[in-house]
Amino acid sequence: MMAILEWVTLAVCCAALLLRVPDALRGRNRTVFGILLLATLCSLLAVSELYAIIDGALGGWGATSLILRFLVFATVLLVGLRVTRGLGAASGYKLISGGTGRWALGLSCLAVTVTFFLVHVYGTPAGLKAASAGGGWNSALAPLYAAAGRTYPAYVSLILMPPLLAALRTRLPHLVRAGALLVLLGASFAAMSLPASLAPSSWADAQHFVNYAAVLGYVAGLAVFWFSGLIANPSGNAKATLSNNPD
Amino acid sequence: MPLPAKAFQLWLHVVAPTASTADICRISGIKRTTLAQQLVRGKVAETTLVSISRALGRSPLEDLSSFDSYAGLAGQPQPPTAAELVSQIATMDLLRAVISRSSPAYGGYGDDGSSLTPALGPAPHATSVRNWVDAIDDGELRHRVSAATGVAPQNYSAQLTANRLSPELAVATARAAGVGFTGGLVATGLLTETEAGWAPEAKQAALDALSDGELTALAGERLQSLGRTLRRQEQEHEQTKKIWENLG
Repeated sequence: MMAILEWVTLAVCCAALLLRVPDALRGRNRTVFGILLLATLCSLLAVSELYAIIDGALGGWGATSLILRFLVFATVLLVGLRVTRGLGAASGYKLISGGTGRWALGLSCLAVTVTFFLVHVYGTPAGLKAASAGGGWNSALAPLYAAAGRTYPAYVSLILMPPLLAALRTRLPHLVRAGALLVLLGASFAAMSLPASLAPSSWADAQHFVNYAAVLGYVAGLAVFWFSGLIANPSGNAKATLSNNPD
Repeated sequence: MPLPAKAFQLWLHVVAPTASTADICRISGIKRTTLAQQLVRGKVAETTLVSISRALGRSPLEDLSSFDSYAGLAGQPQPPTAAELVSQIATMDLLRAVISRSSPAYGGYGDDGSSLTPALGPAPHATSVRNWVDAIDDGELRHRVSAATGVAPQNYSAQLTANRLSPELAVATARAAGVGFTGGLVATGLLTETEAGWAPEAKQAALDALSDGELTALAGERLQSLGRTLRRQEQEHEQTKKIWENLG
């Protein structure tokens, strides 16, 4: 079940990325392409089999896990900036790009790095799965490391939720609102993943589901935004003219 | 409520006993699949009946009133009030009337309904449904319609904003306001003014009867609400464009 979810997430990210290749070549909205590229890399590393191979190539001491966390942070930062700007949420944009946002990012990076090395010093070098399986320090530290990796995504997602909700309530085109709804779902799951990572390990399946649902929501939302712009009539503004005398 | 299919087929058999379904569809311009679907579902839209009645050269109003749910339409229809008539004049025609009454220095003729002013456009216009309801509303009309029909006020408002109103609701609205039934059917475009039995010059006469002050105030209200609509559309368009620029 988890394996399916991992591969499905990777497939969805790859599909969204490939769809955006022509636009990226034309130089249109390369940032969104970058977001999707980072998301694809993240979901690639999130597939257990691929993670094992890549981690093995990098020395097998779990550094890939740390890289994955930083990639997620970078993706979330870009998504946050783009979504707040796209939705015209000036205060949200400031909370992400301004001093508060930088502090949140810096502290999250620090927390991830510190917990990572604590897990390593006191844990087995064979990666986190083994660490969480061990007793004592490991079982106490592994959830903290997992939680630290979800602090910044949760912070950004919480900021994104009010403007996304506001966009849903407008009379924007249906597809645009559908995209906002998907991103909102992704943001809700990303925010939930922080408390979920501290849940007992018997809830592992639910924890995984929340993580992957967050990625899927964000990526699918971006794809729908892109699609809505693609099929939009270029003269969609024709309605708002006096000559047509709308209601 | 749409018309029951059984009663509709009985009616069709009476008015066109020899015509096949294909003939009916051809002369009335209704798609065969549409009619077939409505008959299968047991509910025939009022517009279907009106199109067929019109194509057969009959009176759609009389044919509509031969159905139980529209029995109230039978008999001599109560003529529309002056306010209802004016509500069915398009905003641009009202503005033209304002200019036409102004002094020649501003491009007008300084009189009422000059022969040089172009004729009024036919109803319905772009905001005819809301303008009609506003014209007969005493402030409590929406509540009474909602209580009588069970339609939620926000759904009713949404229909008005979209310049739509189901024939059933149009009749219920007219009943709740105590005006003739034809006003709503004309405002929603189900019937033409002639089919509703309105005198050809009724709208123009109602417009000419407005004093300069009344006409100007009314045109101003219409312009304001048109401006609000246009501004909202422009804002939404800007919002959408921004989303596509950043996320599309």
